[in-house]
Amino acid sequence: MSSKATFASFLIIGLLITLVLIAAPVVYAISLSFYTMDSFVADPDWIGLANYTRVLSTSAFWNALGNGLVYSISTIALQVIIGIGIALVLNQTFRGRNLVRGLSILPYLLPTVVIVLTFKWMVDGSIGILTRAIAALGLPPIHWFESPQAAMASSVMVSVWLWTPFVTTAFLAGLQTVPASLYEAAKVDGTNAIQRFYHITLPMLKPVLTVVVLLRAVWTFNKFDVIWLLTGGGPVGSTEHLAILSYTTAFTKFDIGGGATIATLSFLFLAISVFIYFRIFPLDEEES
Amino acid sequence: MAQVKLSAVRKAYGAVVAVHGVDLVIDDGELVVFLGPSGCGKSTTLRMIAGLETITSGTLHIGDRDVTTLEPKDRNIAMVFQNYALYPHKTIRENLAFGLRMHKMDRAEIDKRVSEASSVLGLDELLDRKPRQLSGGQMQRVALGRALVREPEVFLLDEPLSNLDAKLRVKMREEIARLQKQVGTSMVYVTHDQVEAMTLADRIVIMKDGHVQQVGAPLEVYDRPANLFVAGFIGSPEMNLVEGRVVQGRFEADEFSIDLPKGMAAEENSAISLGIRPEHIEIDETAGDIAFTADIIEQLGAQTLCAGSAQGVGLRVMTTRRDDVHRGSGFSLRFPANRLHFFNTETGNRISTEH
Ligand SMILES: Nc1ncnc2c1ncn2[C@@H]1O[C@H](COP(=O)(O)OP(=O)(O)OP(=O)(O)O)[C@@H](O)[C@H]1O
Ligand SMILES: [Mg+2]
Repeated sequence: MSSKATFASFLIIGLLITLVLIAAPVVYAISLSFYTMDSFVADPDWIGLANYTRVLSTSAFWNALGNGLVYSISTIALQVIIGIGIALVLNQTFRGRNLVRGLSILPYLLPTVVIVLTFKWMVDGSIGILTRAIAALGLPPIHWFESPQAAMASSVMVSVWLWTPFVTTAFLAGLQTVPASLYEAAKVDGTNAIQRFYHITLPMLKPVLTVVVLLRAVWTFNKFDVIWLLTGGGPVGSTEHLAILSYTTAFTKFDIGGGATIATLSFLFLAISVFIYFRIFPLDEEES
Repeated sequence: MAQVKLSAVRKAYGAVVAVHGVDLVIDDGELVVFLGPSGCGKSTTLRMIAGLETITSGTLHIGDRDVTTLEPKDRNIAMVFQNYALYPHKTIRENLAFGLRMHKMDRAEIDKRVSEASSVLGLDELLDRKPRQLSGGQMQRVALGRALVREPEVFLLDEPLSNLDAKLRVKMREEIARLQKQVGTSMVYVTHDQVEAMTLADRIVIMKDGHVQQVGAPLEVYDRPANLFVAGFIGSPEMNLVEGRVVQGRFEADEFSIDLPKGMAAEENSAISLGIRPEHIEIDETAGDIAFTADIIEQLGAQTLCAGSAQGVGLRVMTTRRDDVHRGSGFSLRFPANRLHFFNTETGNRISTEH
């Protein structure tokens, strides 16, 4: 067999797998949004854009979109700030640095459900370590899953806990590419530590920052398990975002066309956001 | 502009001593070159002057101020790094102005200094570019400009030309010398290239293993190397160094034998080394006293370098160009007495031949 034919056969196999496992389900899901179905076994009826007008007129959709934005933006902002902070500390030379660096990635290796259960246990009404700490400080108790704000805060906290290690690792790798002589030149030029961070570290981290924020945004906006396991979207929809709304619509209300519509809208929103993001923060530096 | 004074300046990294006490006074306006092989502590010493390495013990004065423990920004120095260390995301103009901005200078003065430096260094066309859009030589100029605009008390340069090609290095070397004389600011220049040191320096500080070996004007270290290390390090091609003994007022090594200068303090039978530069050995067909056979002939254009042996001792001899020498050619050599150097082989120190 010629090398050309070998190459073509590998290419075709790859394309087929992509088609079967990714493209087909996506196309199928999008196509579902143009039909109405009472169950997965019922015959679909074509209704055109009716699902879209219906979904867009519900307050639940806009509430979920808003929740998704609040959840994603605050999670990412905190992850980036804490991640850079920890990366800066881990980039210093100190005894046992490699051990600490290794340990810092641990939360990322744990299954989501373990982190969520641990958090639930920490805020348990009677024995939770956080509950007790708050009581010891003389502060009023926080009803983590009953108050809308606290529920959102706990979703954000758990997500930050889970993914900050990833962000830290990315920034640490970025920091190690900054030549030490740049900091030295800046020291000689009369900067203090804060000025060096602003004039050297941050611009040098910009490419990493761009990618990290993008990846985290896409993952977080679509993230299902944390919120589902933690609050189930409650109380009264206050932590429900589009992924959860789409799921409950399709699988608990058996409005399959509606669920598919919400998923499709979520996908469109994300695609447009990513497109705009790349216009503002181009990955290749040459044009800036 | 100021004098820089190092008093017993020492640097230790734990048990490793990188620089043993250095005592040195760099005069106002002087260009001092630190020269030595890799790892001898040149950079460490320079970085201690800059404040980028802490001084383990000893004191450092710039002008009247004791700056031993001051931060780099409070020392009023400017530094040029081997890899230039230009800020990659800032334009050339911003790179030049950055140090001045950080020192809270007013805009008009910054603009004036930046445009002066850029016209002196020929950077006018490049001011709005980013460093990655420049060639190595241009980046080098920007790095110099960044030091120049600061108008510091001392310039510190760590192997600034080592990333450039040979031709550009010679050109930039001349430019640095010219600029330094023009602004009259003291400069400390680190290099491992002895030609750079010889051509640039007012005084050379030769270092080895963290110790200063000799401090002197270029011709002084060439003419009177203080020890075997300096003798071998300065000069190209290298000085011939022959180990031998004192036997009845003569230097002897193998069959090779030569009169010692009168009044030289050397004990009978002590181990000494003879040094003579290849360019100082004379070929004299009639009146020479040592027979030499050439093994390898290197034609350098203006000169001819012959490596061979003289009565059992390997020597290199350099003459003005001769087309008539070949492998196996024999000559008679003469060693002018005033060109001979003698060293104590054990301590390596120069043995005085005067008085
Ligand atoms: N951070 C450090 N920890 C331990 N030893 C160090 C450190 N920095 C330098 N040294 C040692 O100090 C000695 C002097 O180093 P230095 O960088 O001053 O050499 P140099 O003369 O500039 O050499 P080169 O020509 O290679 O740049 C070397 O032996 C080096 O190994
Ligand atoms: Mg060095």
